[in-house]
Amino acid sequence: MSCAVRVLAVAAWAPGLEDEAAWRAWSAAPGALGREGVPDARFLPAMLRRRCTPLTRIMLRAAFDVCPEPLRAEVRTVFASRHGSINESIELIEGVARSQPISPAKFSHTVHNAQAALYSIATGNRRASSSLAAQEDTLAAGWLEALAHLEREPERPLLLVQGDVPLAPTFAPLVDEPVGSWAVAWLLESASGSTADGEPVDVALEPAAPGDTRPRRPWPEAVELLRWWLAGADALELPGPRQRLAFRRGATHVAEAHAHR
Amino acid sequence: MARRPCSLSALGLVSCLGAGAAETWRRLTAGDASRLSQRDDLAPEKTLLVGAVREPLPAVPARLARYACRNNALTLAALEQIEAAVRAALSRYGAARVGVVLGTSTSGVGDAEAAIAHHVRTQALSPTFFYDQLEFGGAAGFVAELLGLRGPAYTLSTACSSGARALASARSLLALGVCDAVVAGATDSLCGLTASGFGALQAIADGVTNPMSANRAGITLGEASALFLVTGEADGVQLLGVGESSEAHHMSAPDPDGRGAREAMEAALRDAGCAPGQIAYLNLHGTGTPLNDAMESVAVAALFGERVPCSSTKPLVGHTLGAAGALEAAFCWLVLKGREGGELLLPPHAWDGARDPALPALRLAAKGERVAAPPPARVMTNSFGFGGNNCTLVLGEAA
Repeated sequence: MSCAVRVLAVAAWAPGLEDEAAWRAWSAAPGALGREGVPDARFLPAMLRRRCTPLTRIMLRAAFDVCPEPLRAEVRTVFASRHGSINESIELIEGVARSQPISPAKFSHTVHNAQAALYSIATGNRRASSSLAAQEDTLAAGWLEALAHLEREPERPLLLVQGDVPLAPTFAPLVDEPVGSWAVAWLLESASGSTADGEPVDVALEPAAPGDTRPRRPWPEAVELLRWWLAGADALELPGPRQRLAFRRGATHVAEAHAHR
Repeated sequence: MARRPCSLSALGLVSCLGAGAAETWRRLTAGDASRLSQRDDLAPEKTLLVGAVREPLPAVPARLARYACRNNALTLAALEQIEAAVRAALSRYGAARVGVVLGTSTSGVGDAEAAIAHHVRTQALSPTFFYDQLEFGGAAGFVAELLGLRGPAYTLSTACSSGARALASARSLLALGVCDAVVAGATDSLCGLTASGFGALQAIADGVTNPMSANRAGITLGEASALFLVTGEADGVQLLGVGESSEAHHMSAPDPDGRGAREAMEAALRDAGCAPGQIAYLNLHGTGTPLNDAMESVAVAALFGERVPCSSTKPLVGHTLGAAGALEAAFCWLVLKGREGGELLLPPHAWDGARDPALPALRLAAKGERVAAPPPARVMTNSFGFGGNNCTLVLGEAA
């Protein structure tokens, strides 16, 4: 399956990597991302800031950076995170195991859609929103769910936010993955969408082929995708355990084809 | 533009009402509230009335021990009921063309609680605990690995709308051409975290939940799995409409004016291409909390008046949270499949009958109530989740 979308904008956040210039510099000499740290959250109303988990701050910061007003309240949203609010759930369960009372407000923030909910409340967004997880295929699943929303309402732009923070020490030894605190946000529109802005990209999703292995990199694949985007390269293949995700820039292709004619 | 067909072509389900369509339908339409049971192991020093699955559950195969948890055992119990249909789809379309989208709000948290308590006591991890049991993505990953599906496999988790949302995404995967068949639905399991959490929010009723009543005082927790095989066939029960909205209001309370609920229902009607007058039955979210029922009755009355018969089935099965949207879509599926000539038999609204004068009146279905609905009939189900994530579905008989 291959699907044409247009990328209207991209933004990302990791400790020490807070704007495009920083990400471009990192891209030229990439390495592991910072494990700890959160962006300042002055862009959020004080009342919401208090309850924000590190992941919420990071994902919302990337979301606000990529999506300008007045679009913030109008986009559909997809939030993809492998671990989501699991650290907060673990903390509550540890509390219960020690016979401590549970905080109702903290409990409300353990839902996997906590980031999506805070985004909706902070921006006044009333549109459709999905939150998902797919083990080591969370990047591919996030893009697929984004395409699913663009299918449901092709005329409306979509905000795709992916991110994670390091898993709590209790369970971290059980998961082999590149560790860091990060979020990448894409503002997308379907190829038949209402504006003619943005860069066309073909997104292809196929079942993993036998023998497909993911190259071991110290940074997450969602960040590798960002690196590809910033480098302006033509195509990228991201094989995963279950799905093979591939991106190809459409505009350069069409332009080159015309130039050669 | 006419939508492609989206058939909910096979259903497997397990809840406190039992396993399978026949048993569930019999107890559901009888309004059998005797299936709820008392549990004293979910919240500290408290006995809770819950909708727990009573049947022994199938064992997760040893080769998938890293997925062994109650949540996945519930999924397996529902999946076994549609195994023949899923196998037929696999041989017809090939493993690469069959995907899975599941909803859950708990995943294997119940089993993780024991592992975490063990860790708190000993500072060591339990050898039988794997992260795949706890992480949300594992709910769909388990099904994909069990069946050898090679299509996409992911888990949607938007609190109490997760199950409805999984069916919506399955339809999109067919429309995008990514899949020819999708195993889609949801599973949630009883656990200490949700029992303590909803307890702390003072959202759990002392007795059985009593939706729309002047005496309503909260939810009754439950657990369930409801799974469909979703295909592009034009016959059978069709998923006709999906309506979604966010509330932009509060983490754990709905907008009291019911605007988000109404937007979801209106969007679902638009998507299904039908008018409110064409809906023969509405399965309410009907959690029995003061706020949900107040805002939902306002939204339903504004759109339907007192015309559409509706019921909350939560007094019979409990609020199955992440599974509720799929389970209640399954009840709607059973209503359509149970057609009796020109009529549909409806699941009753089991409550104390004490109408709340502060709420607009709804037409709440009585036990044994039938509604005249010439084919093709259409029915609707509401799911409203924490954080203001709403999803309404319209199911209908093939035209």
